[in-house]
Amino acid sequence: MNEKTDYRDVNENPCHMCMPMGGILPIKGIEGGMVVIHGSQGCSTYMRRYISEHFSEPIDVGSSSLNEKGTVYGGEKNLKQALDNIRKVYNPKLIGVLTTCLAETIGEDINRIADDYLKERNLNNDLVIIPVSTPGYGGTQAEGYFRTVREIVAGLAQPSPKHNKLNIIVPNISPADIREIKRILALMGVEYTLCPDFSDTLDRPYLEHYSKMAPGGTKLEDIRGMPGAVATIELGETVGDEYSPGRFLADNYGVPLYTLPIPIGVKNCDAFFNTIKKLTGKPLAESIKAERGRLLDAMVDSHKYNFAGRSTIFGEPELVYAVSQLCIENGVYPAVVATGGAGAKLTNLLRAVVAECPEPVAILTESDFCEILEQSRLHQVNIAIGHSEGRYLTEHGNIPLVRIGFPIHDRVGGQRLLAVGYTGTTLLLDRITNTLLENKYRTYRTDMYDLYYKENSGPPAAAEDEVIGDDGLYSL
Amino acid sequence: MAITEQQLEEILAKYPSKLQKNRKKHIVINDSSCGAQTIEANTRTAPGIITNRGCAYAGCKGVVLGPLKDMVHITHGPIGCAFYTWGARRNKAKSDDPTQNFINYCVSTNMQESDIVFGGEKKLAKVIDEVVENFHPTAITVSATCPVGLIGDDINAVAKAAQERHGIPVLAFSCEGYKGVSQSAGHHIANNGLMDKVIGVGDLEKASGKYPINMLGEYNIGGDSWEIERVLEDIGYEIISVMTGDGSYEKLKNAHVAELNLVQCHRSINYIAEMLEIKYGTPWLKVNFIGVNGTIDSLRNMAQYFGDPELVQRTEDVIARELARIEPLMEQYKKICEGKTAFCFVGGSRGHHYQGLFAELGIDTVLAGYEFAHRDDYEGRQVIPDIKTDADSKNIPELHVEQDPNRFKLKLSPEKMAELKTHIPLSYYAGMHVDMNEGTIMVDDLNHYETEEFIKLLKPDIFASGIKDKYVVQKMGIPAKQIHSYDYSGPYAGFNGAVNFARDVSMGFASPTWNFIVPPWKEEPLLTGSVNEEGVA
Ligand code: SF4
Ligand code: SF4
Repeated sequence: MNEKTDYRDVNENPCHMCMPMGGILPIKGIEGGMVVIHGSQGCSTYMRRYISEHFSEPIDVGSSSLNEKGTVYGGEKNLKQALDNIRKVYNPKLIGVLTTCLAETIGEDINRIADDYLKERNLNNDLVIIPVSTPGYGGTQAEGYFRTVREIVAGLAQPSPKHNKLNIIVPNISPADIREIKRILALMGVEYTLCPDFSDTLDRPYLEHYSKMAPGGTKLEDIRGMPGAVATIELGETVGDEYSPGRFLADNYGVPLYTLPIPIGVKNCDAFFNTIKKLTGKPLAESIKAERGRLLDAMVDSHKYNFAGRSTIFGEPELVYAVSQLCIENGVYPAVVATGGAGAKLTNLLRAVVAECPEPVAILTESDFCEILEQSRLHQVNIAIGHSEGRYLTEHGNIPLVRIGFPIHDRVGGQRLLAVGYTGTTLLLDRITNTLLENKYRTYRTDMYDLYYKENSGPPAAAEDEVIGDDGLYSL
Repeated sequence: MAITEQQLEEILAKYPSKLQKNRKKHIVINDSSCGAQTIEANTRTAPGIITNRGCAYAGCKGVVLGPLKDMVHITHGPIGCAFYTWGARRNKAKSDDPTQNFINYCVSTNMQESDIVFGGEKKLAKVIDEVVENFHPTAITVSATCPVGLIGDDINAVAKAAQERHGIPVLAFSCEGYKGVSQSAGHHIANNGLMDKVIGVGDLEKASGKYPINMLGEYNIGGDSWEIERVLEDIGYEIISVMTGDGSYEKLKNAHVAELNLVQCHRSINYIAEMLEIKYGTPWLKVNFIGVNGTIDSLRNMAQYFGDPELVQRTEDVIARELARIEPLMEQYKKICEGKTAFCFVGGSRGHHYQGLFAELGIDTVLAGYEFAHRDDYEGRQVIPDIKTDADSKNIPELHVEQDPNRFKLKLSPEKMAELKTHIPLSYYAGMHVDMNEGTIMVDDLNHYETEEFIKLLKPDIFASGIKDKYVVQKMGIPAKQIHSYDYSGPYAGFNGAVNFARDVSMGFASPTWNFIVPPWKEEPLLTGSVNEEGVA
């Protein structure tokens, strides 16, 4: 297994974003939630632009609009003013205050400012403020996401009587994925609190009347009651304890924590359903059994095409981990697996699973697309799977890209990409297989020509059907 | 339909009182009986308002420097800022020398916590070394983001040392996002740097062709500049440099040999235009290549400036040829667009420019504004002496240039200049206000809340704006046309661009999709509708 070999300082075409970007998403998944980014307004404008483009949704995010004076005298006044103005126009139930590099560098104490604000305005019963420290230089959007979920849960959770619900903590998956998990839970008759739930707020249907605050999101009451749940299932194997909302609930309220990967791939889905069954005693619904069967059927149908795939998988650690497992299950063996952040937990998890791969796998952390491309070429990768910035691999390395994750900028429908559960897995697998096939058809004639006619050498010509069966051998 | 003061008050009533007063000054209902109307602009956005404005870094690296293709642009800071300016603006570039086109690269020092604590100068120096080694670029820029200024990294010193070490220009820009009130501060910082360190560095003393010009404030979004250049070159102009769409250090360094500077986006680049006039004696001409009439007027004004009958004739020939070709196409789209109304809220010049193109299609612009313009962009340059500089604009250093002892040359006699100025916009911009109809409305720094309220009130048929407000508008059942990045379309400038725009806007109206979408007010009973109408008149 080769690890990072070169130690460059330059980041050339980054594979990750900054912490507050990740913090916005979960706040958008809380009912009546609004966000203020404490810093100069550029950060919030950029992030809104990016999130908007991915989800094709309006993304209202306030900024405390700090300027040079604020950097000298502190931004307390600006932040309070921002809270005032947002309250007046949006009337939110909860405001998440996320810091930026600027606020952190000048040492803003947002917890104190938030407390003072609630007292001064006499709002303690009407508004929840969740301050989250998210310095851009402190981590990637993935860490910003989980730290924010943890702070939301920690800020709201109250000692609660025991109830029947499960807590489900989801990572940065698509609104369609969240809806799928909800559908599955409903099918099985499981009661739950899913947090954060941006399945409606970041993928709104067209409605006759537009409202400033998107309907939907996890209810504050439900989050308050999370300590009374049967258990927490956290789809966050790569999440450090200090960022983990489930860990918080376990440590402070004794809620048993089950940490699982995102249910993508047979094994991961099985683990998800088995855990639910164990915790609730509810059997797998017949229709879900059928979905599982269809996935297996699809895997058999596609295995020979998939076996010709050598993949590069990149993006946020949690997704990278699950997609790597899916690829291994189907013989699209990962050759390069990369993430932009430190990814310590990811590396350990991956080491265990890539042991099954026939060839060494390059695991790249703190990586950028310059390095990912270099390694992909070296490993003769023929398919990449990850967010849209990976188009660089297509443009410069001729490696086709299957888009999944965040952000997806150059295509529509990022919010509708479904990958979880047996059905979601089937859809993702089909996209991977079809991308391999498409590439095959595109290059088949030239490959054959080069092989048999150009040099007037090579193995004797075989009937076309036969060649398609194992052409992966020739194409690499 | 117009809007009354009372309706405006009602919209603003939702704000806390301080904010009401503030926003009121940024909104003007055009009314000629009031004489010269004043609008407040280029002042701080109130915190917590969902503004569309960005930061100084966005204006400097994102807008002005980014399109210069033969330079590697390093963002010194944590990763986010760099990532968010990567390929975000659709400024196109092609290069004769593919090894010197870095437009698709995003290069950052990716500062970590330890760099914030111990300083990032060493890392920056190393990154510059690596960039030189990996890319061998003609030149390098370094743009600072927020934390850099706060921790006191001396990027100028690092750049200077690197320049000596590598023998290629390394330019530093202190464009920390907290400077100024919007992108505008960054434009100014970038303009100063390019003027100071690039323009005039080349040793060309005279252009080789006839009628040498620079095109300033044209960023080649969706290929706009290519369409304009096609026509200009056909007429016989030699384009020395474009600032900065598809531009390059190599071309920019000889920009001093031009005999006329065209200014397309006044807001972002008027600083360079002014400085070029002082230093080299080259006047600038405000042009507008958006819209058929805008393009024709600009071409005619250019020809008048050079005053060569042959050029004038060639200009008319090209105009006639182009018109004959595009008029039938425009006619066909006009049939679809006629009688509709638009909002036009964009950047710092397009909010004005696109009104003309809309008008050519029979669309009335009922509300317009800019994200980050100054008062002169609304009211005309004559107000510049009256603009108060507040603390935020004082932070941006002014670059004082002087006549170049060797290269300064008056291009026209003072008498000829004076005469021309009476009928063409030489070194002058009249702003958007004069071109807007009675009862229409100008809004500076429009935000999401106001967008929604004005839509409910004025019910436009199309909203020309950016990606961030596009979805608010579309969720309200109105087609939106992105005028920042053109929704993956373009070019929209020049003759062919006008046709493309007409096609895209018509598609916005004619797409069968809209048959399924009925905005709520269209279903309102007639009675309420007419009551509203009366209250409005
Ligand atoms: S940190 Fe500063 S420079 Fe970077 S995007 Fe935010 S405001 Fe702009
Ligand atoms: S890296 Fe820091 S400064 Fe840049 S956008 Fe992110 S939070 Fe803002």
